[in-house]
Amino acid sequence: MRHLVTFVAFLALCVTGAASVYAQTPGSPSVEFPYTGNRAAVWIVAQFHTLLGAFILGAPIFVVMAEWLGYRKQDLRYDRMAKEVTKITVILFSLTALTGGLFIFVLLATYPQFTTWFINQFYLVFAVIYPLMFILGTMALYAYFYTWDAWKGEKKGRHIALGVLLNLLCLATMFAINGPTSFMNTPVKEEGISPMEALAAATLWDKIANASWMPMNIHRIDGNIAFGGFVVGLIAAYMHMGAKNQEERAYYDWMGFAGNLIAVGAMLLQPFTGLLLAYQMCDYDFSFCQYMMVEQLSMFFEMQGAVVGLMFLGCNYYVWLSLRRIQGVEQVRMTVLAPIVMVLFPPVAIWGLTTYWIPEPMSLAILIPLALAPFILGRFIPGTVSVHTVMKIGFLMVVVSDAIWLTPNGFAATEARMLDDLKLPESWDFLGKMPTKLGAIFSLVFATTINYILYGKAIRQGTIAWGKIDGISQFVLIFLAFTSIWAMGLMGAVRSLLRKFFHTYNLIPDFTAESFTPTLSYSAWLITGITVVFFIVVSVAVFVALRPVELKGREPEGSPVPAGTK
Amino acid sequence: MGKAMFKLVIGLVVGGGLWFTAKAMGFPPVYQWAFFSYAAVGTVVFLLLDIPSMKPQSGWGAALSVLLFFGLLCVGYGAGASLLPQFDPEDEKGKNAKVLGSAKSGNPLDPWKADEVIQRTKELDEKVKELEARIKALGSGSAPVAQPGGAAPVTASVPAPGGASGGDLLKVGEEQWQLQECYNCHKLRGDGGKKRGPELDNIGTYLTIEEIKQKIFDPKSFMAEGFEKEWEKGRMPDKFKDVMSDSEMIALATWLHSFAGKNPSVITPKPIKKK
Repeated sequence: MRHLVTFVAFLALCVTGAASVYAQTPGSPSVEFPYTGNRAAVWIVAQFHTLLGAFILGAPIFVVMAEWLGYRKQDLRYDRMAKEVTKITVILFSLTALTGGLFIFVLLATYPQFTTWFINQFYLVFAVIYPLMFILGTMALYAYFYTWDAWKGEKKGRHIALGVLLNLLCLATMFAINGPTSFMNTPVKEEGISPMEALAAATLWDKIANASWMPMNIHRIDGNIAFGGFVVGLIAAYMHMGAKNQEERAYYDWMGFAGNLIAVGAMLLQPFTGLLLAYQMCDYDFSFCQYMMVEQLSMFFEMQGAVVGLMFLGCNYYVWLSLRRIQGVEQVRMTVLAPIVMVLFPPVAIWGLTTYWIPEPMSLAILIPLALAPFILGRFIPGTVSVHTVMKIGFLMVVVSDAIWLTPNGFAATEARMLDDLKLPESWDFLGKMPTKLGAIFSLVFATTINYILYGKAIRQGTIAWGKIDGISQFVLIFLAFTSIWAMGLMGAVRSLLRKFFHTYNLIPDFTAESFTPTLSYSAWLITGITVVFFIVVSVAVFVALRPVELKGREPEGSPVPAGTK
Repeated sequence: MGKAMFKLVIGLVVGGGLWFTAKAMGFPPVYQWAFFSYAAVGTVVFLLLDIPSMKPQSGWGAALSVLLFFGLLCVGYGAGASLLPQFDPEDEKGKNAKVLGSAKSGNPLDPWKADEVIQRTKELDEKVKELEARIKALGSGSAPVAQPGGAAPVTASVPAPGGASGGDLLKVGEEQWQLQECYNCHKLRGDGGKKRGPELDNIGTYLTIEEIKQKIFDPKSFMAEGFEKEWEKGRMPDKFKDVMSDSEMIALATWLHSFAGKNPSVITPKPIKKK
């Protein structure tokens, strides 16, 4: 493995080293990537680096949470899961660093003048802060991994503290690199002066803390946790299929459950943190909003609606399949108010948000009591319904809500090409507006939350037979991981394309022939290819990190021992 | 099997019901089929709920199943996205080249090639001045325009669209309207808009060419009545002064001004001077 990494690094340096020399020569032409073109080459490397980065930043949050839960609950499974995920993270950490270097080199080769200018703008970040944080993060990760067995028992708290430190370093790394990334979309600007003048007057901090920086940080923290959880679900599915005995199957069934639970918890917040980012961008320049919602990128959002809807269906279906292995689930019941509110949620949310659009707080004053009604008023109402009935209504409402989300203002890629027989009738045009879309998202989140609360209730009241989960569920876990990676690629493309024909919006134009909005079809196939490559890499990492343990058998002395069990 | 058939029938009935209801309510056919497809997706979901349990797979069988499943997902997402309406990049390619003008990336710290742009601006300015002088001299180019609701008097002349030089200016103005995608927010001649910004057919009855140019240069300089929220939030991008030359702004303002009074039934909100 070490030889392979060295070889790849050497190749990358050979290929890109020459390019970086080119980049230092003023006026020198950029290289032309064969087959893909320069833009797609940067797109592929950048997306691949971002996916790896998302995992290595999200996984440590997941891992420390799991380790802490194992310590608190004295449950060895959490500790084992945390350690296995850390093993994979260690491999992917080095790949992230490699692809990060490759990304910069490819940028220098393909867009030498812009990249040089960009690095100069954030010299301190690129040359000092980011590498330093990465090195410290690597040291912390290695220390965290190699002290796992040494710092057990009474020293477990120390090990968890090291994990927290690792997370702080990872977060700081992400915050640092999000500065330049968000700057490309929303660079500093001042009323009354030109963008270049505003830039000249700006400090490094002004450039980092730009309009979309904090919303992007929040969106990425949440997204990385969800992403980490779904990838853990994928690992569990692989290992469940490869398990040789019932004990292993039971463990990986549980691991899939835990990974999915954390992922779904984070995913429920994703639409809202994403909306905050989009809202901030629209506030920065309203033409972003047109470009996203009604013009060139509108169908990208249509696809996003389809993909996110499928994810909600997938995670609810996982719960449905999981219920099959819980004995006594028939006795689990819930207040009749829950399905009633589920059905009422879309119309009320759409009406509330249409009447009181963001940032008017009145819409929340309507939605929060409605969402809490089953839990507060439910105990005073005698009627109850079975878990399966609630879930079936939940599925119906997920389909209905996603249908509302998916119904576009018109079936045309741009408003300019919108014919009358392709758009909504005037009296129904509210269906294509943002308050309706947000109302549908609220309904999706509410229905899924109810289903997961019910699932928790079923686990507490019934007897769960770990390892007996329906075989289809493992494909659902793979589907969720694939779809979440794909969705991330799609939304990443949208954020990047928002800059239109600029490298840095309104500041540095992109004069190359590839400076145009690609079709959704082209983007989708490219994203699919990147997702497949990422899947192959993760699969190899899982095989390398976990498979030998299976072959040799787990050694008892390597097993973690939480405090109090000595 | 009976349960599955029952669900299929229910799905067909719901889908058919949605299709006919949508038709009766005046939805175009594409929406009728979209609603039918939502019902189809719902049916598939409910069929999946009753699918018999599958034994956990292992070994090569599992590996093959996973590979096939990946293939299915890849084709599903790639083909699914391809079925949606596609934006034609050709629409944008020419536009971007024009927006960026003749400037080519030289020094990254001066990406707009300021010297060339200034030179070009000077040339265009001279051309505009020459045109304005010719229009004034012609006199006949000044068309009397209606001034609804106590509108501000028109102080600038409207160039004759038929004149060769005036026509050039108007052509540049129209081109700028398209290039800067003003139609995304503003309606003009019945096209574009969606109430994000005021309809502009009769803006020339309220503002002079110079004032329209000022509004493009500094969006905060005027506020349209009824668009107070949009004005406060700075909805109109404050970027045109950076991406358009002075002459291009004048050309766009002249072109917008030329519509004054041609369609008096269009209500253009009154602009209020703010700066």
